[in-house]
Amino acid sequence: MAMRERIEALCEEAKRAADGVASQAELESLRVQYFGKKGSFTQLSRGLGQMPPGERPQAGQWINAARAAAEEYYDARQAALKRMERDSKLASETIDVTEPRAGRALGSLHPVTIVMNELADLFAGMGYEMVEGPEVEYDRFNFELLNQPKNHPARDAQDTFYIEDNIVLRSHTSPVQARTMIERKPPIRIISAGRVYRADEVDATHSPVFHQMEGLYIDKRVGMSDLNGTLDAFARRLYGPNASTRFRPSFFPFTEPSAEVDLTCPTCGGKGCRVCKGTGWIEMLGSGMVNPKVLDMCGIDSNVYSGFAFGIGMDRVAMLRYGVSDMRWLFEPDARMLAQFR
Amino acid sequence: MKLPLSWIGDYVDIDIPVDEYVSRMVLAGNGVEGVESLGDEISDVVVGRIDSIVKHPNSDHLLICQVDTGERGVRQIVTGAPNVFEGAYVPVAMDGASLPGGKAIKRGKLRGELSEGMLCSGGELNVPDALYPGAGVDGILIFSEPYPLGADVRPILGIDDTVVDFEVLANRPDCLCAWGVARESAAVLGGGKRLRKPEIAVETVGGSIHDYARVDVRDSDLCPRYIACVVDNVRIGPSPMWMRKALNGAGMRSINNIVDITNFIMLETGHPMHAFDLDKVRGRHIIVRRAEPGETLRTLDEKERVLTGGMLVIADAEGATGLAGIMGGEESEITGSTRAILFECAAFDRTSIRLTSRALGMRTESSGRFERGVAQATAREAMLRACQLVNILDAGDVVGGQAGGGDMMIDVYPNPVVQPEIKAGCARIRECIGVDVPDVKMVELLESLKFTVRLENGVLYATPPEFRQDVDQEADLAEEILRLYGYHHLGTTLPVGPSMSGRRSPRMTLLNNVKSQLTAWGVRETLAFSFTSPAQIEKLGLLRGDPRLSPLVIRNPLGEDTSVMRTTLVPAMLAALALNQSRQAQSCALFETGAVFETSREGVARNEEDLPWERQMLCVGIYGPSVDFYEARGLAEALLKSFGILAKVERGADAYYHPGRSARLTVGGQAAARVGEVHPDTAERFGIEGRAYIAEIDLDAVAALTPPPPEIKELPRHPAVTRDVALIMDESVQLGDVRDSIARACGSLLESVELFDVYRAERLGGKKSAAFSLRFRAADRTLTDGEAADIFARMLEVVGAQYNAEIRK
Repeated sequence: MAMRERIEALCEEAKRAADGVASQAELESLRVQYFGKKGSFTQLSRGLGQMPPGERPQAGQWINAARAAAEEYYDARQAALKRMERDSKLASETIDVTEPRAGRALGSLHPVTIVMNELADLFAGMGYEMVEGPEVEYDRFNFELLNQPKNHPARDAQDTFYIEDNIVLRSHTSPVQARTMIERKPPIRIISAGRVYRADEVDATHSPVFHQMEGLYIDKRVGMSDLNGTLDAFARRLYGPNASTRFRPSFFPFTEPSAEVDLTCPTCGGKGCRVCKGTGWIEMLGSGMVNPKVLDMCGIDSNVYSGFAFGIGMDRVAMLRYGVSDMRWLFEPDARMLAQFR
Repeated sequence: MKLPLSWIGDYVDIDIPVDEYVSRMVLAGNGVEGVESLGDEISDVVVGRIDSIVKHPNSDHLLICQVDTGERGVRQIVTGAPNVFEGAYVPVAMDGASLPGGKAIKRGKLRGELSEGMLCSGGELNVPDALYPGAGVDGILIFSEPYPLGADVRPILGIDDTVVDFEVLANRPDCLCAWGVARESAAVLGGGKRLRKPEIAVETVGGSIHDYARVDVRDSDLCPRYIACVVDNVRIGPSPMWMRKALNGAGMRSINNIVDITNFIMLETGHPMHAFDLDKVRGRHIIVRRAEPGETLRTLDEKERVLTGGMLVIADAEGATGLAGIMGGEESEITGSTRAILFECAAFDRTSIRLTSRALGMRTESSGRFERGVAQATAREAMLRACQLVNILDAGDVVGGQAGGGDMMIDVYPNPVVQPEIKAGCARIRECIGVDVPDVKMVELLESLKFTVRLENGVLYATPPEFRQDVDQEADLAEEILRLYGYHHLGTTLPVGPSMSGRRSPRMTLLNNVKSQLTAWGVRETLAFSFTSPAQIEKLGLLRGDPRLSPLVIRNPLGEDTSVMRTTLVPAMLAALALNQSRQAQSCALFETGAVFETSREGVARNEEDLPWERQMLCVGIYGPSVDFYEARGLAEALLKSFGILAKVERGADAYYHPGRSARLTVGGQAAARVGEVHPDTAERFGIEGRAYIAEIDLDAVAALTPPPPEIKELPRHPAVTRDVALIMDESVQLGDVRDSIARACGSLLESVELFDVYRAERLGGKKSAAFSLRFRAADRTLTDGEAADIFARMLEVVGAQYNAEIRK
């Protein structure tokens, strides 16, 4: 057979052999067989020496070209085999992605924490700084500086736990106001939040421990419309653009004028439902202009400064949000209950 | 306070629907708790007359009555009540009628005999005997008069009214009466509504009160005003229907005309009154004085009271005969045989009444009113009105003044109250309320509330009416003006002050960081009460003398369970774990943050005048099949580490922990956390089965120990050299110590040392093998194997000797 035919035959043979294998490993051994140091193409090249010198360059070129073509064929074949092998591996690795598994344990925040975070952020955005105070508090800060001297009948409205004659469990977060007014100069814009205590027996709507958030704003020329605007903005941010508030005259010793603030019932949007007892309004918070007597007692000149204060029951906000009808649920440590709050 | 609308309507026209009236009152600050329509559930119950009665043929106790109901005809009605008789006028529920409680009446057969309705008892119509005498009889209500047949029984029985329950604010005791509510109603409804108070005129029978009684007020500081009147020839009897109806609507029971007059006056004018049987007032001498210590008095509720000095009593010549402003004495009680009475209408110091009422545990309608404040100035008008009612009811003869036309009352009022004149700038009021009310409108509104007002150059000079005690400053006037003008006029502006930087408190930020870590790790937040019982703390099994066994005590707790402030969060957490376990939860992970209250610190007890120490604590509780000590410790360590706090683990914690499986995480000797398995004895006392784990972290310590944000180091550029070694040592050797020793022995070129295996086997002869992986690196150059090998070898010598450890080959 002439050299040229032999070369072409070998090239063809190598290609056919490659077509016949099913794995990269088999292909690899064919590679060695054809292109290795002792492979067929190498053998062929070695045979050049026996050819007449004049034909050698031509034959050499033929061999190299054939070998390059064959090797190229092998590369393509290898890529195809690699793809096939990976596909079949992936196919074999298929699992049941719907198989139920335990999954990661979820933690959860208490609803009062959730509400407190939200309110704190909301008021922080309005420039209110959060200030802390003790839960066991002097009567002076809890009552006297808030215009409730000893034996004031209004003290009965908040049945208070006493530790000593002059020490109580704070019955509201307002003592933080008194402490702040004594320590700082206006303008003052603070909130305080936390546990408060009243001697109420536990039932669906009462608990001797509950949570309040209190706001205080003092500056020159602060009017009650500013209070209205602030609480209105608060209600809309918390309950959406359709929420609105309604002020009702009320009485708190530490504010004058005072207002009870109702919120459009978030459950029915004001149409009247079971939650709002058909009135369309939910009693939300107490507020008012800081009583000038309180300002003066705390060392702020009421002829120069005025301000407003408001207090929100966070448990109530949480109950409304989660449709909790019984306050005792908030103190229920059953994980199945806790798991429901988001 | 409940008031029938008809009573208010006697003094002011309420010509709008009840709903609207209530809503307008509420929006002006007169809260309403509820509206009840008496007799609302009753329909088609009419007056009937029993014409004939025959025995029911098929029953021993039933009777068949023919009842004439006027235009509605004669109806046959079967009844079981034995008190009916021919000619009796009775309430008849017709076919289709309804009764209280939703009971519907239908015609039907009773044991074969037709019954076309029902004869009603007082109980079935919700009419008490005090409202309609005879209503309380066992059987059918028999009318005392022949009312028109077929007439609606509701007006006759006094149950045709609407009762409004007002929620009177603490500063408005003047609204605790019909006149007060009427005054408010007139001002709120406006539009020229006039208050129609009755003309008060009293007829006396002459004579002189001074011939009947003497009054000495010895302690006028506690009794600024005392008024007495005498009624002779008392004719005790029932009160008329209009008065019974008024009392019933207000929730009081009619007793007799004299007692009813005192209650009626209280409800109408707000002045509590008392009536003494004058013959039982020894020496006919009223002395208002403080009680002698130990003095006794038997009060109207038939209880013997032992008084302490300082309590105010109404005494006679021989001793106390009434507890001033709270309750009368049994001795001088009005009875059927009373011949002459002394009416008292007085003002008492509210603090004194409050303290006495608290001390004796006696809260009465009267004491409640005196505590909130009863105006002194209006007492005389109330007394006059009482005497007028004696005239109207013909309940006795009002004794006059002296022959010369002197005062029919003894009125001891040494220091008449002078109402303050309040000066207030109209502009300042507008600034305070933020509503543009014109000056003259302010005057008009205040005048509608009976203030006396002068307006000069934009300044109001306002004197509150004598019944108001709550108005003494500009802000009070602002509120009066605004609430009548309408809170709905308030603008919605935002404060224009300087912008201020709002932020969370550092404590809240810390708490939130802690909480977000824990929730990410699958732990759920709970809340427990801040109080507990001493027994609950004792269940922990703390060592005697532990300061946590001396909690802060609440003087007036709701109960034993909530009698002290908690000194630890652990009991509540253990109770929570036990609860979840009892509800079949296989595993549970909870946390709580909160204050604990300490009565001593570092052995120094709190001074009684001082506040206790409050410490913010975190308590984590976990149990479950895959939980062990190391998981609990890891959680506490990781939490501390997240704040940059690297704590040392030291064996042992409190007595309620497993002694061999508990640790303190300390920083510079201070324990930032305690963690471990719950001691089985403690677990048992809390009802926990199996192993449970607790971690307590002192968040105040965390806050104090948190370092400032670290300076970040460049990542290493030179390669590290790694060496592993397994050391065999006694079981008692603490691997934490070994790890620390390795680190110390290697010095600064050691980058890290990690325990990666602990192996125990019989062939180790009761010892353990611990495998550590060490990584060495130099920051400035490539460390050679030789250098690392040298350090490693030196370390092995030192550590091997220290722990008597040999290298496992």
